[in-house]
Amino acid sequence: MTCRDAIAVLADYLAQDLDPETVAALERHLADCGPCTTYLATYTKTRAIGAEAQRVEMPDEMKARLRRFLLDRLERS
Amino acid sequence: MSSDDHLLLASAAAGDAGALEALMSRHSARVYRLAYGISRNTADAEEIVQDVFLQMVLKGGSFEGRAALGTWLYRVTTNTALNKRRGKRHQMETSLDDVLPTFTADGHREGDRAYLVADWSATPDRELLSGESRRILEEAIDRLPDHYRAVLVLKDVEELSNEEVAEAVGDSVAAVKTRLHRARMAVREHVTRRLGVRA
Repeated sequence: MTCRDAIAVLADYLAQDLDPETVAALERHLADCGPCTTYLATYTKTRAIGAEAQRVEMPDEMKARLRRFLLDRLERS
Repeated sequence: MSSDDHLLLASAAAGDAGALEALMSRHSARVYRLAYGISRNTADAEEIVQDVFLQMVLKGGSFEGRAALGTWLYRVTTNTALNKRRGKRHQMETSLDDVLPTFTADGHREGDRAYLVADWSATPDRELLSGESRRILEEAIDRLPDHYRAVLVLKDVEELSNEEVAEAVGDSVAAVKTRLHRARMAVREHVTRRLGVRA
């Protein structure tokens, strides 16, 4: 397995969506390849912090405006 | 759709404020996260949420019972947000090809070795999610094309299955998997270029 092959399957590897032979080949490659080991570590961290950064909450005043907007539209319809 | 959602929708459509409140309480957080995640703009996200909830309430009792309301909301929110963004492409949007890994003819990574092994992954999340690091991360997400951000939010934030994401964005599972991987790689690259060497 080359670096190109390894990086191509990282998402499936993290999702545990690879067949056992590919997992074994990938892990053999990672054991010998510093750049790909680093790539996997930073890719995994990117997934975690990217998700956390996007867990935004709807502001309370926006919820209040949404409620008023919908009630107003329902009354008019 | 659960019978509970169905009853609430019918009641809300008939003007029941309590039913509307219950539907908002149950679903507004995810609709907002997705709307903001795609639009990356608070005012646009608010308009998208209003539009989606209005569509939901006006549909009311005529809602087809087989689909889960949550799934319908993800699909309609995605479409509404992408339509709203059409023609408003961000000036900073990066060509993904510029931030994806490159390889030599024999399949090895290309680039300076110090950069290839620059590992910022041990940096604590709280540090990466504050200050300059947070700004860099947000910039990386901003630079993704809208339909890549849609997949990223649906998969990594909402934690839908690939099939559910495919249904929400109206694309194949294979396309969703490719887009998700490319989006994560692009964000990783952007962050690494700015943080990697000093981490």
